[in-house]
Formats: sequence, C-alpha cells, structure tokens
Amino acid sequence: MEKSEKQAAAQQAVDILHEISTLLNCQLDRRTLSICISMIENGVKPEALAEVVQKLREEGRVLMADIEALAAKPNAARRK
Amino acid sequence: MSYLSELAALTDELIDAVAAIPKTQKRKLKSLRESTVQSLLNQNYLRTNQFEVQNRLIGLVERFRIVDREPLGDALEERLEALKPHVNDFTPEVLQFLLELSDKPAEKSRLSD
Repeated sequence: MEKSEKQAAAQQAVDILHEISTLLNCQLDRRTLSICISMIENGVKPEALAEVVQKLREEGRVLMADIEALAAKPNAARRK
Repeated sequence: MSYLSELAALTDELIDAVAAIPKTQKRKLKSLRESTVQSLLNQNYLRTNQFEVQNRLIGLVERFRIVDREPLGDALEERLEALKPHVNDFTPEVLQFLLELSDKPAEKSRLSD
C-alpha cells in the first residue's frame, strides 16, 4: 500500500472512531481524539488517559472560572 | 525522539486541546504537564481485554434498543462494522478509552450530532 493510501485509510479509521465517540457521548473533538490515539499507540493505558482527559477538562473549567472572576473584579470595583 | 520526549510533546498537545490553558499561564502549564505525564506513566492497569470491550459495545447496542433508541443502536453497529477493515493492535485500547469516557449515551447521545 502506498503512503498516501495508508494515510487515507488511517484518516478513515479516525473518522469512524470519531463517529463512535459521538455516539458514546465522549465529548471529544477530532483533534483531541487523534492526539489520544497517538498516545495509546505510544503505550499509554486507556484508563489512565481517560482519567487524565477528565482531570484536564476540570482544570480547564476551574482556570477559566478564575480568569473570568479576575476579569470581572475591576468592573465590580468601578461600579462601586 | 525518545519515548519520554514524545510523550511530553503529545501531553502538551493534549493539554492545549482539552484544557485550553492560555500560554501566558506558564507555571500552571508546567505543573499540569508534570502531573499529567506522571499519571500517564502509571502502568497499574490490566491489559485491555478485547473480548470484554466487544461485549461492552454489544451490550450498549442492545441497551440503545431496549430504551427505544434503535437508530442509535443501528448507527453504532454500522460504525463498528465499518471499523473492522481498519482494526489494528491498538483498536481495542482505543475503544476501551472511548467506553471509559462515555457519558450516559443512552440518555444523552443524539444522532444529529
């Protein structure tokens, strides 16, 4: 199989896996899924990776909330 | 590229894609990178059992049908069938990862997504 054919087949596999992830409600975009597949192909355990993704989602939410709270503070002070 | 540096590079990409922490938060990014790599290196997990993964997916197809969400069951079955020509050594692991992240699909998944 030529390189371009191999790439096309790999892309197709990622497309199907992305559709499966949507049906399972995993909340993964295609880019994140591709990164996760590469990690698994590099020997990362699926359970460890799933835990990490959940933790990163939470960290992202907390940090965004902190940033928004900080951004809102000067406005609140100005209103006073 | 060594295993560790490859894992660190992928970890950076994952943090960017999932947590979207601004590049200006250097200290936060560094500590998150270290703790994430440490968690990923934790190998205290059993090897993926491909038959168990297959059974969980078949169970999910059945569950979709039981709760009257047959189109979802059909769609999942179709995708699993379409995946067969692309199966490699890592496919069971990737499917297990998706099952671990799955969040109440019988209630929340929408075919329109």
